[in-house]
Amino acid sequence: MPELAGKELRIVGFLCNWCSYGGADTAGVGRFKQPTDLRIIRVPCSGRIDPLFVVKALINGADGVLVSGCHPRDCHYSDGNYYARRRLEMLKQFLPFMGIDGKRFHYTWVSASEGQRWQKVVTDFTRQVHGIGPLHEKKEAAK
Amino acid sequence: MKVGVFICHCGNNIAGTVDVARVAEETRKIPGVAYAINYMYTCSEPGQDQIKDAIKKYDLDRIVVAACSPRMHELTFRRTVEKAGLNRYYFEMANIREHCSWIGEDRELNTNKAMEAVRAAVAKVMQDKPLYSSSFAVNKRVLVIGGGVAGMQAALDCADGGHEVVLVEKSPSVGGMMARLDKTFPTIDCSICILGPKMVDVAQHDLIKLYAYSEVEEVKGYVGNYQIKIRKKATYVDWTKCTGCGECMEKCPSKDAYDSFNFGVAPTKAINIPFPQAIPKKAKIDPTYCRQFTKGKCGVCAKICPTKAINYEMEDEIVTEEVGAIVVASGYGLLDIEKMGEYGGGRYPDVITAIQYERLLNASGPTSGHIVRPSDHEEPKTVVFVSCCGSRDKSIGVPYCSNFCCMYIAKQAILTKDHMPDSQSYVFYMDIRSPGKGYDEFTRRAQEEYGTKYIRGRVSRIFPKGKKMVVRGADTLLGTTVEIEADLVVLANAVTAAPGAPQLAEKLHISYDTNAFYVESHPKLRPVETNTSGVFLAGCAQGPKDIPASVGQGSAAAAKVLSMLSKDFLENDPAIAQVNQNACVGCLKCVKTCPFQAIVEEELRGGKVVAKVIQTVCAGCGVCTSTCPCGAIQLQHFTDNQLLAEVNALCLS
Amino acid sequence: MNAQELRKAAKEVLPSVDVVIGQRAGFDPLHAEPCFATKPEDVDDFIASPLCVHNLASYLPSLKGKKVAVVVKGCDSRTVVQFLEEGLIKRENVTVIGVPCSGIISVKKVLERVSHEPIQSISFDNETVTVKTNKREEKIPLLEVAPGKCTTCQYPNPLIFDVLVGQKLEPRGSAEAVYDDIREFETKSLEERKEYWEKTLGRCIRCYACRNACPLCVCQESCIAETRDPHWMSQKDDPKEKMTFHMIHAIHLAGRCTECGECERVCPMDIPLGQLKKKINMGMKELYDYVPGINPEEKPPMYVFKVEEDKIEEHELS
Repeated sequence: MPELAGKELRIVGFLCNWCSYGGADTAGVGRFKQPTDLRIIRVPCSGRIDPLFVVKALINGADGVLVSGCHPRDCHYSDGNYYARRRLEMLKQFLPFMGIDGKRFHYTWVSASEGQRWQKVVTDFTRQVHGIGPLHEKKEAAK
Repeated sequence: MKVGVFICHCGNNIAGTVDVARVAEETRKIPGVAYAINYMYTCSEPGQDQIKDAIKKYDLDRIVVAACSPRMHELTFRRTVEKAGLNRYYFEMANIREHCSWIGEDRELNTNKAMEAVRAAVAKVMQDKPLYSSSFAVNKRVLVIGGGVAGMQAALDCADGGHEVVLVEKSPSVGGMMARLDKTFPTIDCSICILGPKMVDVAQHDLIKLYAYSEVEEVKGYVGNYQIKIRKKATYVDWTKCTGCGECMEKCPSKDAYDSFNFGVAPTKAINIPFPQAIPKKAKIDPTYCRQFTKGKCGVCAKICPTKAINYEMEDEIVTEEVGAIVVASGYGLLDIEKMGEYGGGRYPDVITAIQYERLLNASGPTSGHIVRPSDHEEPKTVVFVSCCGSRDKSIGVPYCSNFCCMYIAKQAILTKDHMPDSQSYVFYMDIRSPGKGYDEFTRRAQEEYGTKYIRGRVSRIFPKGKKMVVRGADTLLGTTVEIEADLVVLANAVTAAPGAPQLAEKLHISYDTNAFYVESHPKLRPVETNTSGVFLAGCAQGPKDIPASVGQGSAAAAKVLSMLSKDFLENDPAIAQVNQNACVGCLKCVKTCPFQAIVEEELRGGKVVAKVIQTVCAGCGVCTSTCPCGAIQLQHFTDNQLLAEVNALCLS
Repeated sequence: MNAQELRKAAKEVLPSVDVVIGQRAGFDPLHAEPCFATKPEDVDDFIASPLCVHNLASYLPSLKGKKVAVVVKGCDSRTVVQFLEEGLIKRENVTVIGVPCSGIISVKKVLERVSHEPIQSISFDNETVTVKTNKREEKIPLLEVAPGKCTTCQYPNPLIFDVLVGQKLEPRGSAEAVYDDIREFETKSLEERKEYWEKTLGRCIRCYACRNACPLCVCQESCIAETRDPHWMSQKDDPKEKMTFHMIHAIHLAGRCTECGECERVCPMDIPLGQLKKKINMGMKELYDYVPGINPEEKPPMYVFKVEEDKIEEHELS
């Protein structure tokens, strides 16, 4: 089952391999406890993240989407996160027009060494999405 | 399609908070999964054999391992499946350790999350395509950035291995911090006496090309084929003519130039050679002090120079070098003591930094090795050393230990007694960190043989009282406050990243941590590699470390370079962008956004214009794929369909 | 607009190009249709009136390699500029015949206004439309039956042209008022907006007319709404898939849509598709100070970046 009904919401994360995925690993190595809602998809670079993946996830079942890449100036591929920032900001402004709360979508930057920052991002974002509640009607079968 | 899934217990690391048997059981229900099993240590030899055997026995054609992070073991398992005859890209990992078992407390939630991760990985692996590397020629020259002891060691080892080395040093001489030290711990070896021969080796090695007073301006290319632009800063002295005779320095009338080699302990001349053993031993003009530049007239050095080497019109020059590998040994900086307001913030002349004290101790330093107070040039009788000056202090922005201060303080206390037998040294310390060979014995000698008084506690304030400096602090062992009237106070200010470290990292596309030290590929297992292939680390650029560790890392980085350059050809990562010429509409937006200029326009027979990827230049970021409106250019192994499979697996059900 | 002047200008241009694209009377009094003139007598069919609703610039990329002259209104000229910004056409291959425009008709609105009675004739005089049906004659101010884009038109004059036919006109209303409709929609609650779009986009029959008419949808037969590789969408008749499709269209046009309104004009289900793109454009203006199709030297904001963005700030989590 996708999420445990009543306990979790469905949150999908797109993480760049070099920074944020590593940051999430670092958080794990440090045993920094986090809510369990997040499901992580690894991509090489935040610049690989087509805003349409976020749209696709939100329309089809996710209650929240988190994107995280390397800090500006620190992109493994030098410019990928700059393109990501422009595209994702565009999306962030567009979603509410379609009736999807912009707070369901968050993008940020976490480096491979920032395990604690990752823990905070996940914890805060999960709380934020729970604050808004589910985006989709949950199927009975999920209980 | 027959997917095999292997769920690792990782001892208790995963199995402790994830019901791995249940994950395996649920995994068997996923369409396409032909085999699923949980096992104690999948990465162990029997664990890997189990995968190989299952591939044969059950005719599996795709493999998923649910275990630790793919950043840890993806390569391990790719090799495993390859040995069993599958393409190495028919493999995915589900991270159920770092992203699951280690961070969630609830067994039920963790187990469910692990099952989800497996489902996503199975969905992805079913979309995976076989990929094949192609090989490309390697340039066997090496760039070493930084001519300190770590960089010199790396350069010498690479050159001894038969490779041409380009060594770029931003100051006028190689030698780095070690060249400034008087003695080294714990042997009290003369620092320049052991470093000098290495510096000479660097200068005389046929295969080492030294660019002193130069900086890396731009780095282009990729592993095996880098193009480096180097800025040779203007020295206003033609080094091909300069013999290093020092006439100019002697006659130069501008005597107040800041001496960065001596950390401002005494001024130097506007034209100077930094120190007697400098390599190259060449003069350079500091235009902020030179009268020819500030007043427009002087010309003394030009007149006096026997080889007519002075050229006031000189400008920076950019040269290009091609290399195949890069060693970054750009060193460290020191915390500006202006940040330490309670210690005077640099306002009191008799409160100095340890490196300045080192210059005072040094026989070839500005005082010829006589310890004197900067204020009145009198010999101090009471010297107080303050350790952890900024280090391990979050409020200063230095949360880490600077690694070698405890040791050099012990050394400086010993040398102080040697120089002035009737002196008394005190050390305020937080903890004595001396975990090296012979190190702890050394700090004991400082106390027991040399009578240095160690006081465990922090210094709260330093202030002047007549000719003395009062050092007020706590003695936490006695539970009292102490005040010592010192003639000279030496601060062990924190080691920081080198100035400009982030900018250099950005040029090299390597990561740096919150303290601007460069990040190694793995803290335990890949300590000198970076995540950018072909770029290696050595010395304090990666984090504070002492001389033997820096030298060790220099050699280690060189060993990595040598093993890489032992091959004539390297294999590329086939996970790069690929154009579907039928779908490409030739809008060429990908050409505009590619960060590497790896995409060009190609006209097909019949006149259709499409995008074309230059394989060796593409770094595999995928910016093009998310730029392309029609999905015609796809980053292999991270295609739209592969990522959509994961999104759908996680969202649609 | 004066047809005689336009024909004269087109005839002068014709010898130096392969084709002049204009518009001529269509199958009924209410419709005009594109006219590809290769001979002087073809040009005699050209008309110049509020019936000329087509954005003829749309044809330019498909005529790559040919010398083409095209008749454009102010709004259409932005498409030409956008093509130049994106490198989709070569300036030297295109001759732009610009026609200042005081508004065009919306066929749907005219028909609604006369209760869908069969129309016998339509004529224009100083921004007044005279419509004759088999039952009556009605005089209507043009703007009442013009598409939304005309009521706040900021670019009545072509922004790029080689030949200008007619007198330049003043923009209509203030530049700020252009986005009033978007701002008004945004006063609704998120729930209401979601419901509105689910209902409105739910009407979509996925005929792809909007996409086919869009001058900036460069992909056409490679459109990811219909491909299996990549397989972004199924062909299922599902409200989610419809929503996905229109969001794809809008996002692919981010920083590119010149608001020519062709998508809305051709939609058989009367879905206000232009609003989605307009909203994104509003963001492009605010974030990147960019308006598509204004300056051929500019670069569309999704293909460039600034290391320090002026208007993007880190988002805080609550």
